[in-house]
Amino acid sequence: MVLKGRHWVMIWLLAFLVAAGSVVARQTAALRIARALNQARDSLSSLQSRRTEYERRIRQAASRSVLVPRAQALGLRLPADSEIVIQPVPDTGGP
Amino acid sequence: MAKLTTRVSFIEGSLGLLLLALLVRSAQVQLFQGARWSAEAKQARTEHVVLEAPRGALLDRHGTPIALTQETYHVGIAPNELRDPDHDPETIARVLHLPLMKVEDELSRHYAYFAGPFTAGTVQGLRDVRGVHLEPVLNRFYPSPDFARAFIGRAGEGGQKPSGLERTLDTLLAGTPGAAVVLKDRAGREYDSPARRLQSPVPGNDVVLTLDAELQEIAQRSLRLALEKMDADGGDVVMLDPATGEVLAVASERRDGVSRPSAFIDAYEPGSVAKIFTAAALIADHRISLTDRVSGENGKYKMQDRTLVDDHPLPTLNLADAIRVSSNIAMAKFVTRLDHDDEYGMLRDFGLGTPTGIEFPAEASGRLALPKEWSRPTPTSLAIGYEVSVTPLQIAAAYGAIANDGVLLEPTLVREVRAPNGDILYRHQPEPVRRVVSPAVARELRQLLAGVVSSGGTGASAALATFTLAAKTGTSRQVVNGHYKAGAYNASFAALFPADHPQLVVVVKVENPRKGSYFAAETAAPVTRAMLEQALASRTVALDRARLSAVAPAAGVGELEEDPGLAPYVVSWPPAHDTAAPAPPRPVPDVSGRTLRDAVRLLHRRGFHVVIKGWGSVQKTWPAAGVEAAAGSLVTVFGDTPQ
Repeated sequence: MVLKGRHWVMIWLLAFLVAAGSVVARQTAALRIARALNQARDSLSSLQSRRTEYERRIRQAASRSVLVPRAQALGLRLPADSEIVIQPVPDTGGP
Repeated sequence: MAKLTTRVSFIEGSLGLLLLALLVRSAQVQLFQGARWSAEAKQARTEHVVLEAPRGALLDRHGTPIALTQETYHVGIAPNELRDPDHDPETIARVLHLPLMKVEDELSRHYAYFAGPFTAGTVQGLRDVRGVHLEPVLNRFYPSPDFARAFIGRAGEGGQKPSGLERTLDTLLAGTPGAAVVLKDRAGREYDSPARRLQSPVPGNDVVLTLDAELQEIAQRSLRLALEKMDADGGDVVMLDPATGEVLAVASERRDGVSRPSAFIDAYEPGSVAKIFTAAALIADHRISLTDRVSGENGKYKMQDRTLVDDHPLPTLNLADAIRVSSNIAMAKFVTRLDHDDEYGMLRDFGLGTPTGIEFPAEASGRLALPKEWSRPTPTSLAIGYEVSVTPLQIAAAYGAIANDGVLLEPTLVREVRAPNGDILYRHQPEPVRRVVSPAVARELRQLLAGVVSSGGTGASAALATFTLAAKTGTSRQVVNGHYKAGAYNASFAALFPADHPQLVVVVKVENPRKGSYFAAETAAPVTRAMLEQALASRTVALDRARLSAVAPAAGVGELEEDPGLAPYVVSWPPAHDTAAPAPPRPVPDVSGRTLRDAVRLLHRRGFHVVIKGWGSVQKTWPAAGVEAAAGSLVTVFGDTPQ
């Protein structure tokens, strides 16, 4: 079969459409990935911010200025050094 | 007709000229001005931006964050881009925790801007709102803002210079900024493009400080409470590890609320705390025998230039007595045996009058005059801690030399520097400055200091029941504007804990205590004791408890059965795998009838781990007494009172 002019036109048109379609598909995928990357980055930033805030609150809640008055209100007190026994580490026969 | 032809020709000519003009202009724009217009267009569409590098973190010695860098945001809003102008302001106000009125007021402008800075968590709810533009900015964050604030300083945002350690360590903490080209649209909005990043920013190094967060909190809180209780003007605490020179805690508080690193920058006359340095010169130069005695002069000694008074007079005193009761008279008599150069040399060798070299801007050097500048009373003044000024840090370093068998170490606040990828760039090693005295002399000095905390010593109020302490009190007159202020005193206390193989040097200074006594024995010494008790009760404070258990006399604890000896708990890093044969099984000792504490101690000594069930005396164990069990295995102890 001999390709006539209109066939060549069709082939070139098809090739153009395939090339254009692949460019559009690649760009769409790239945009989707870029959006997902941005979202992941935002999530990371948000989570880090929350972690920092929680760390701050834990530090505050665990600080002596908060704990000691509460412990004293419960009738607890700091042990005198004579009430602290430091147990020697047992000899387990290691090197 | 001719007229029409002429008109057509004219129009044709005009169009031709217009076309020619267009061609000429095109040629001018494209060929001659092309480069300029191209650059202008590029500049309008793109912008070079500097990518800020995250500043490295400051951590305590256990990795607790002290200063961090986190991404925060400024919020810009283009009101004409909002999709729902009726409801969006409410959302924005709620998310940013701002009054609605303020938001609406801002939105009435062409472009609203809220500087914040707002955290990523806060602005999360605005990310999908059209018309809201988030501008990321790196911000320094201090999880505990009061943590050693005067010493840590601030990173200096908004064009201000960094202060404190943030300033000293700035070159380590600051990263290298990057560069990028961003695309801009007609409205000036920027679009980041990874492909157009010219140079990525390199984050700064993380710096691990020597500070111990728990000990620091103990120091700060104890000092604050003491200042309130004594109605004092201010005070300082320095704690350091004498074996390495690492500063474990440093606190400076002032009642007026001013944050000043006075432990490093304010020099004062130390008073009797400095007597031990003269004692060191006397012993090291063999100018005294420990049996030599001088008269106590009934507590009042008239000299040529002054009259010295002892608060705890004794009939006669040797050097140990002079240190124990802090006798000015005895020290004044003993110091006459020293040459000026020897006395000066020893004070200088202990680091007085010289900056310690700690990584802190504007550390004070204190003052120690050269012998040629001395007046007649100077040797006596120096022997009792006057005519010399020191910072609490210098005192701590000098006492550290006594604890460290006579070697003066350079104190440090930096333990480690880590690259962003985790590589260790620097790890602190003890840096000896000089040997001040021999180990034998240092041992004698520690014995003299231990006497201060014994019964009858001026520092007895700091004594611990279980551990021995070596310390010295000092109460000196306060200098204000170059003159001694009537009724104002500095009370200071320097202690080595424990007296044998000290692990901590503690220096406490209280300025001008008004309530109660102003003597160091009743002000700074009890503060030291309170801090040490808290440190002992804390699980995380950097103390070597294996060594402490070895030096602690078993106060109130009866003799146990044969002691298989203490195993030093030393772990090398990286850990070496145990190639020795496992320890043979051993019989579980019979602990029935003993108190739980005794039973636990005995089982630990035999190499077992212990779980306690119930209270009171021990009823039985599992495995039972006499049964052979592997070393390190678990023994459950049952008390006679069930839980």
